[in-house]
Amino acid sequence: MGMTDAWLLPVLPAGAFAVLVLFGPYLPRRGDWLAIAAIFASFVLTFPIIADLTSALAEHGEEFVGAANSIPWLEVPGNLELRLGVHVDAITVVMLVVGSFVALMVQVYSLSYMRGDSRYGWYYAAMSLFAASMLALVLADNFLLLYFAWELVGLCSYLLIGHYSHLRSAAEAAKKAFITTRLGDVGLLIAIILLWRDTGTFGIQEVIAAAQAGEIRTEVLTASVVLLLLGAMGKSAQFPFHVWLPDAMEGPTPVSALIHAATMVVAGVYLVARTLPLFELVAGGPELVLAIGLFTAFLSAFLGLVMTDIKRVIAYSTINSLGLMFVALGVGAPAAAMLYLFTHAFFKALLFLGAGSVIHATERQDVNQLGGLWSKMPLTGVTFAVGAFSMAGLPFLAGFWAKDEILVGALENRVAFSFLLLSLPVTAMYMTRLFILTFLGQAREPEVAKHAHDAPLAMSVPLALLALLTLVTGLVVFDQVGRALGFPGGIGELIFLGEPEVFHFDTGVAAASSELVALGIIAGWFAWAVRPELPQRAAQAFRPIHAMLVNKYYLDDFYQAIIDRVVLAGSRVLAWFDRNVVNDTGVDGSALTTGFMGYLLKFQQTGKLPNYALAMVIGVVALALVAFTLKT
Amino acid sequence: MQTGYVLLATIAVPLLTALALTAVPSRYPNAVRVIAVAVGFVLFGLSLYAFFAYQVADGEQFQFQLRWDWIENVGVLGDHGITLHLGIDGIGAPMVLLTGIVAFAGTLISWKIDYRNKDFFILFMVLVSGVFGVFTSLDLFFWFFFYELAVLPMYLLIGVWGSSSVFPTFARTKEYGALKLTMYLVAGSVLIFIGIFAVFVEAGIGTFDLLALYQVQFDEDFQKIVFPLFLIGCGVLAGLWPFHTWSPDGHVAAPTAVSMLHAGVLMKLGAFGIIRLGMQLLPEGAEFWMPALITLGTVNVVYGAISATAQTDFKYMVGYSSVSHMGYVLMGLATMNPIGVNGAVLQMFSHGVMTALMFAMVGALYDQAHVREMSIFGGLAQRMPRFVAFFAIAGLTSIGLPGLSGFVAEFNVFVGVFRTYPALGALGILGAAITAVYILRMLALAFFGPFNERWKELTEMTRWEQAGGALLIAFILFMGVFPSPFADRIAESVLLIPGVR
Repeated sequence: MGMTDAWLLPVLPAGAFAVLVLFGPYLPRRGDWLAIAAIFASFVLTFPIIADLTSALAEHGEEFVGAANSIPWLEVPGNLELRLGVHVDAITVVMLVVGSFVALMVQVYSLSYMRGDSRYGWYYAAMSLFAASMLALVLADNFLLLYFAWELVGLCSYLLIGHYSHLRSAAEAAKKAFITTRLGDVGLLIAIILLWRDTGTFGIQEVIAAAQAGEIRTEVLTASVVLLLLGAMGKSAQFPFHVWLPDAMEGPTPVSALIHAATMVVAGVYLVARTLPLFELVAGGPELVLAIGLFTAFLSAFLGLVMTDIKRVIAYSTINSLGLMFVALGVGAPAAAMLYLFTHAFFKALLFLGAGSVIHATERQDVNQLGGLWSKMPLTGVTFAVGAFSMAGLPFLAGFWAKDEILVGALENRVAFSFLLLSLPVTAMYMTRLFILTFLGQAREPEVAKHAHDAPLAMSVPLALLALLTLVTGLVVFDQVGRALGFPGGIGELIFLGEPEVFHFDTGVAAASSELVALGIIAGWFAWAVRPELPQRAAQAFRPIHAMLVNKYYLDDFYQAIIDRVVLAGSRVLAWFDRNVVNDTGVDGSALTTGFMGYLLKFQQTGKLPNYALAMVIGVVALALVAFTLKT
Repeated sequence: MQTGYVLLATIAVPLLTALALTAVPSRYPNAVRVIAVAVGFVLFGLSLYAFFAYQVADGEQFQFQLRWDWIENVGVLGDHGITLHLGIDGIGAPMVLLTGIVAFAGTLISWKIDYRNKDFFILFMVLVSGVFGVFTSLDLFFWFFFYELAVLPMYLLIGVWGSSSVFPTFARTKEYGALKLTMYLVAGSVLIFIGIFAVFVEAGIGTFDLLALYQVQFDEDFQKIVFPLFLIGCGVLAGLWPFHTWSPDGHVAAPTAVSMLHAGVLMKLGAFGIIRLGMQLLPEGAEFWMPALITLGTVNVVYGAISATAQTDFKYMVGYSSVSHMGYVLMGLATMNPIGVNGAVLQMFSHGVMTALMFAMVGALYDQAHVREMSIFGGLAQRMPRFVAFFAIAGLTSIGLPGLSGFVAEFNVFVGVFRTYPALGALGILGAAITAVYILRMLALAFFGPFNERWKELTEMTRWEQAGGALLIAFILFMGVFPSPFADRIAESVLLIPGVR
């Protein structure tokens, strides 16, 4: 099992999908065991691939650019050759581990969470396809396969967000997610074809090499990079495409965990990380990524403060995190972005699965109906706290180390660095708020809290494992840890071989960020635990700002108005034009004109001989005149 | 083994079936059904055989040839004046397969027709025979003959078995739909007819045989004048804007199986005619007029998609969606480069199967509910999960989701168009995004959300409908996952079209 056999990883869950769709109803337990077995196999198989990669790195050193393997798919001889193939290098491996592990955890968790669901078998089928598409996406060696998997990821999120299809809100949320991300995909597809036009290849590495050799015209490269970024922004929920992500919580909670942690939203980050050399060749390219990331991170942080739905708060924290990853990419620290992605996957999955455990136990997800669950659900409470404070950036949890790397990377850029520092206490504050409102204080609905119970085994094992990983994964920033795990030179060396920057821990930055985080946590504690009336008073005092935040900066309303007043109204005008002008006037009109001409001509048929004779004479004279004129 | 008798059989079997059905007493409707489905299966088998037995890299442009002289050396006709000359190239092969698939699925779906089902199937078989004839004929005379044979039964099929629609502000009777469709297509064929005679006279070799005429080098001015006759004449049938309005109204009025065949196969006859008569016969004329075609094709895509967004009736939405998707075919053809034309032919196949599936599903619902207004349904997924799944697959194919046939075709079209006209290519991709809007809107509105109790009487599709749908889905997936059996055949022949480079 070497790197070139990596195609097996997506094929296993894809096979499980096919079997479940065709034969699911006839399988014991509707085939959930098959889906889990497939993703487990994929997870296990990543290890021989990592081993193969490290030995190849040890052997070839910096000259190793990755191993590829592909098969032909469609060919127009001499004009177009489309292949499907895999490419394995260090970024791929990180994504493989994250994707397969989180998918495995989520599927195990779902054994309990989704029990009794009327479409249990279909749920596992869609989950398998989701995992398969994501693994294919990160393995793709060319843009075509990447787009292929990219769209399938979008489809699976559509299917799973809309899983509770009998709810109008779920159907709407699924539609919104698909259409919003698809708008970005228009850009991605155009970019892929534009790059092909100048290079004649869809291979990602080949395109990058061609761009670096100056074979792509500057304006084409600029356009392509902007359009690629559009695709990444759609999938990774960057402003102004972020609106679909908070609504995506309409799906079952484990689905949210998968979407937010390991599959859907990190695809955009992966795409930018993968094609970062292209961005760096374009003047202003990295700055654009940085600006979008900063804007997204900053705006979303405040929304977390006012949302009352437990999943919605976590959703805005995801947008916040995705913004941070874009910032890291924008400042040219892809290793930091990948590290954040890696650690974020664990604590974000943990947060959502913890939220799922709360929802499972109480059937409530509005924090105003929760509270006082700490003693009833200790395991959920503890693990949720680990996740929440990791997200907040509390020292020595995974999020802290990764965030520190991003801050260090942004150190050069004063503006970015200050904005990042500013957002830190806000993030810490809303995560504290979420934890306090959910688990501490008096139960706002004592009946509900009384019957709450901790998660069953299938749910608590993933929680515990993810919490454990959240405690330790951040330590991979230290090269010693990486070397001890068997990676020569540490994880940073592994991920970005040949790049000058590797992980470096900066005590000064860490101290500053820790203080700000502590400030945020204390402020949150004070506002929601010590003086709970304070937030209401603040909301009263700053009513316009509060209203703006609750209404999500009015962006959703704005988009809705565009759809209703511009898109749908415009389409009705065109349909009216088609029916009344093109058809009734153009088509029916010409038919009616013909009929009318016939009506007029019929009066010539008088049946009287003199009339006909007269017409004949006139005709003969006229023809004779014409003949004479032409002759002379 | 390749023999032209396979192609002859695809034409003769349905004709003879039509003849034989006249002898079946109409008090045995089940006998009629069994015969129709059995013949549908045979046609499917024959077309499958013709497709797979077609040899790529054989050196022959046209395979399965069969030539029966009919009239020669009389008057203006010289050697091989009018011959029944059959044969397929890599473009004809997938079209024959498409016809076999849709015809078989159509017979399955039409199992439930009760009203004069014998007459229905007689006309249906004549129609199918004509379609096979167009895709396989290599003689202009017979090409035109079969073209007319395919168009005319439509009038009766829609007029008798169709359905009328009444909207708050306007109404469309089935007679109106049938009349408009037939008149329009006949008007188109008048242009084709003139074009055919012009070519015959100008060539001056006394034969209607296409292979002989392909060898003639026509004068450039002649080509520029005659090509638009073929382009518009065939374009009408392909739904070319602004000659498209027969299509939504006609499809809406038509009974299910006829909509399937019409949107699925007949519209492809138009595009096929543009290739066979226009591009292959008059390459310089084609080159001259293609900028006009690509503009109109882009209008088709965007205009059709926006119009579809405004529709509230299932069938009108699918009808306008067909106009939009045929635009990709026209765009692909107009690129005159191998990738684009390859994509166009792939799209002809893909759209044929996909739209047949969509019309089949609309019909399955309409036959039970007797309304087609999307907004009065809701939550049907809970009642008819398999129906919704099939419908959703058709919808996702039209969105261009990878793994389904639409993506393969549209991707080739986009790449081809971008090679020559990047701005129009971007508009084409935007059209695909608008498709997502109307398809997903329809799915959310009619099939998801809370179940509307008014429809608790509805049941899942019949077994026959499921079988027909499954057949179509199988080919959507086949082409979406393994496109090379299609692309290899098509690309080889596309590269032989003069002027395509």
